[in-house]
Amino acid sequence: MTRGSIFKLFAYAVVAGAITTAVAVFIPWLPTAATRQADRMWFSIWFAEIIAIVVFAVVAAALIYCVVEFRVKPGDTSDGPPTHGHTMLEIIWTAIPTVIVIAITIVAAIVIHDNGKAGTNPLVIKVVTQQFTYQFEYPNGKTFNILRLPKDRNVKLDLSSKDVIHSFWVPAFGQKTDAVPGITTSIVITPTRTGYYPIICTQLCGLGHALMRSEAIVLESTEYDSWYASAGEAPAAAAGGTDGKSVYTAAGCGACHVFTAGGSAGTIGSSLDNLSVDAAKAGEELNDFIRSSITDPDTFLAPGYAKGVMPSTYKSSISGAQLDSLVQYLAENTK
Amino acid sequence: MASKANHHPSAARQRFGSDWRAGRITAWLTTVDHKRVGLLYIWTTLGFFAVGGVLALLMRAQLATPNENFLTRGSYNQVLTIHGTTMIFLVIVPILAGFGNFLVPLMIGARDMAFPRLNALSYWLFLLGGIVLLSSFWAGHGAAQGGWTSYVPLSTLHMPGHGEDFWILGLHILSISSLVGAINFIVTIHNMRTSGMTWTRIPLFIWAILTYAWLLVIVLPTLSAGLTMMLLDRQWGTHFFDPVHGGSPILYQHVFWFFGHPEVYIMILPAMGIISEIIPVFARKPIFGYKAVAYSTVGIAFFSLLVWAHHMFSTGLPVGLDSFFMLSSMVIAVPTGVKIFNWLATLWRGNISFDTPMLWSLGFIGVFTLGGLSGIFLAAFPIDWQLTDTYFVVAHLHYVLFGGSMFAVFAGLYYWWPKMFGRLLDERLGKLHFALVLIGFNVTFLPQHFLGLLGMPRRVYTYRPGGIWEVYNVISTVGSFLMAVGMLVFVLNVVITARSGRRASNDPWLADTLEWYTTSPPPAWNFDRLPYISNARPLRDVRRRLEAERWK
Amino acid sequence: MSAAAEAHEHHGPPPIHYSSRINPAVLGIFLFIGSEIMLFGSFFTAYFFDRIVANPAQWPPLNEAGVPFERPWFLALINTLILVTSSFTIHWATVSCKKGNRAGLQAGMVLTFLLGLTFLLTQVIEYHRIGFNTNDTAFAATFFGLTGLHGCHVFIGLLILLVITIRAFRGHFSPSAHHGLEVGGIYWHFVDVMWIVVYVTVYVL
Repeated sequence: MTRGSIFKLFAYAVVAGAITTAVAVFIPWLPTAATRQADRMWFSIWFAEIIAIVVFAVVAAALIYCVVEFRVKPGDTSDGPPTHGHTMLEIIWTAIPTVIVIAITIVAAIVIHDNGKAGTNPLVIKVVTQQFTYQFEYPNGKTFNILRLPKDRNVKLDLSSKDVIHSFWVPAFGQKTDAVPGITTSIVITPTRTGYYPIICTQLCGLGHALMRSEAIVLESTEYDSWYASAGEAPAAAAGGTDGKSVYTAAGCGACHVFTAGGSAGTIGSSLDNLSVDAAKAGEELNDFIRSSITDPDTFLAPGYAKGVMPSTYKSSISGAQLDSLVQYLAENTK
Repeated sequence: MASKANHHPSAARQRFGSDWRAGRITAWLTTVDHKRVGLLYIWTTLGFFAVGGVLALLMRAQLATPNENFLTRGSYNQVLTIHGTTMIFLVIVPILAGFGNFLVPLMIGARDMAFPRLNALSYWLFLLGGIVLLSSFWAGHGAAQGGWTSYVPLSTLHMPGHGEDFWILGLHILSISSLVGAINFIVTIHNMRTSGMTWTRIPLFIWAILTYAWLLVIVLPTLSAGLTMMLLDRQWGTHFFDPVHGGSPILYQHVFWFFGHPEVYIMILPAMGIISEIIPVFARKPIFGYKAVAYSTVGIAFFSLLVWAHHMFSTGLPVGLDSFFMLSSMVIAVPTGVKIFNWLATLWRGNISFDTPMLWSLGFIGVFTLGGLSGIFLAAFPIDWQLTDTYFVVAHLHYVLFGGSMFAVFAGLYYWWPKMFGRLLDERLGKLHFALVLIGFNVTFLPQHFLGLLGMPRRVYTYRPGGIWEVYNVISTVGSFLMAVGMLVFVLNVVITARSGRRASNDPWLADTLEWYTTSPPPAWNFDRLPYISNARPLRDVRRRLEAERWK
Repeated sequence: MSAAAEAHEHHGPPPIHYSSRINPAVLGIFLFIGSEIMLFGSFFTAYFFDRIVANPAQWPPLNEAGVPFERPWFLALINTLILVTSSFTIHWATVSCKKGNRAGLQAGMVLTFLLGLTFLLTQVIEYHRIGFNTNDTAFAATFFGLTGLHGCHVFIGLLILLVITIRAFRGHFSPSAHHGLEVGGIYWHFVDVMWIVVYVTVYVL
């Protein structure tokens, strides 16, 4: 290789690297990190990113150089030089990638080790998922549909599922784990920025998968403490509360149904504002209709809705008294 | 088998008919000729490719703007499931089998496959499996809705109707078809090579098909087992995967991905084999590092059996296990890199001509490098925790399966078309096809990386308005329709050149491998006579000998 | 074929060249058995996963009455001996065939077929009386999964044996040509060996 060709090759590599770097730097890739774990995660992503840019620049430069420099001259039918291989080159381009991937592996292993540490006395919150809603159970036994977290404290989320596999992902938290029926999985987060963050289900879990969302709110620790002490919302269905509205909230009805009185606007299931109309169509008395629709959802389907969408688990997960008050609440507040 | 060797050639000619291509429909229905079976495979898969492509366009239309109502959520899940399953099981795997069928006996100098009737059986099973799979759209409650991975318990306890059962049955038939075909490939390559065709003289595509077939034999039964358990859970009340009765949903993922990840390499290794055939021909050089490329094929296949759980990083496996699978997944990047470097070294100082097959091959190197690099991110399991099940994965898998496998398939189609049909495809239309697909492909899938990083999960039929998501999604949809236009150019090319295409000589590209030694298209018995094979480029020897004789 | 014939008939294929000494059909059946091992391997994986990962506390699990499921290991042991014997009888049949002893071939095949049939019938009776059903926990699923999968293979094997037996009585197979017998025999040996593994796993461990 002549000096000129090395220079050209280098120039191509610089150009390719510069373009890729520009894409990497100027296009917003990642949400702003909101946890300590996400900071480490972003570090490992950028570490791999820089290596990827270098590798891509080298390959692209060689490719472009070949395409530009070695194109056949018109009328030339001769063969190129019959080089069959070069053992030293093979060793080099086996060894260098090996070193690179081991480096990435080590960085990744350190990150995962640090991110798995919950420290002493973490705040443990149980995340119970079902089609298509999240419930967050706090140490005091109260359950909410929105996750409130204190800033700068280690939080351990224990995930479980009542039906199919779901997932818990807050992009800005840099952590994601599946909620698998039958086992408990967990992740640790330490929020560092206050604000509102979307919680997203990423595992295909049925018809309402795209709408299975919730919200995480990170509060200053003083605000969190006062909220936690007053425990704004009502106790969980699971914990035995029987007030109609709180059963509605805790059972996650609002995730799928429109219900003006309950302040929910889910679009997976039929609108609960139309319950009287639907009951008339089904030819049943309103209260009986509501009750059977909860315990046995496939017997009557509102027009345009398919069988098997609404979970049939409420029969067992809501107690008799809770069901009574839920039915009453819905009957009284539907339009 | 022994009796066949005794056939007098004229008897063989009588059996095959004097002009095997001037056949009626029955001649194609009853054929056991590897070339015809190969062409049946290729035509059928191209048909399924059109079906899968239309399904993809439906999804991109639905996602073009937020809160679109083009598809319902139920039909969206059906479309995404059948799109993925079709592209993997009805397009890429069988079209590579189609290339293998057509080429393997020609490349190793055999008269046919080792078991010609089994070969026909594997094609007809493939067609049947495809029909069963697609007919699930007409099942009660529509087609399967669990994605191509069809995770339990969603697809066992929470999926009414029979679409999922059709899906299972279709895949069962397809896996038997592939298994039969794979055994046939291995035995053919092992037993039927012509004299002098040693293991270091077979074309690299043969190495790739051999490895592909071995992987299929090893991992396909696992898929069959997993599907059987799923079917029993659905229809017979067993509890393999039901945690309430002592089963485990994680078991399904282990079984599925032990098949599923090697499946990725089943789809890419023969594609790399095609690239390894084309690049030396158009660079007019021998492949650089034949042994390194061949061994890296085997190396990738070996490691691919040890990496399955990197699809399960987010299911709470022990950290030690995760770390093992991270390391083994990372290691696969090394033999893959070796291949790319050897292709670049083959290009180096060559006399490169840019015919359409070469353009697709160069496009393959560029795009596949990007896909391979984004794979590194998914192999590192903390990063995977952020990226898995997002659009980043969608982008990555299309970069390796579309930008990888399908680019190589088109390279192969343009390259071997003259051998298959005796006419060349049009170069100008071919280049237009390549340009449209290359641009459309990157416009479609590059923004999907950003979508995934910013928080768009995969397999969603809608998303909330606002922000840069909308821009990326519109760009992506535009790109997908650009690709579709490119594919129409290909169809046009095929139609036009079917009558008026330039006739091909035996060896229009001045290639080096044995399939170019016979006529285009080859006769039923493939070769009238064969040279003794003394190196990996037999045709170059023949050309040089002819050259020398001319100057005498 | 002679070189002269080759030169005379210009437009024929050259003779087939075999690049390996192993017969294609034998290589094919070995590859098929390799895939069968992977199929059984997946069901073994299911068994051990459910046993070790999903239910580490108690195996077999307790039934509704609170006692562990009973597995009739003694009956299955007798059945195992029956199947293992059939491996020897088919080996005898093959050796007889190679020596040109047709009576031995025929007797060996009939014995093998009857032993295989006895095994299968015994297993059907065992299923009938075992006291639990496929939907009783993941243990039952894996139990019936493994033994049932093997039963299917015995059934297929019996069909193959039947064909070979009929052919033996029709005068097929000779000391020099017996691939059909050999390939079927390889499959039957595989079915026998796999049963020993299934038996040890499901009934003994």
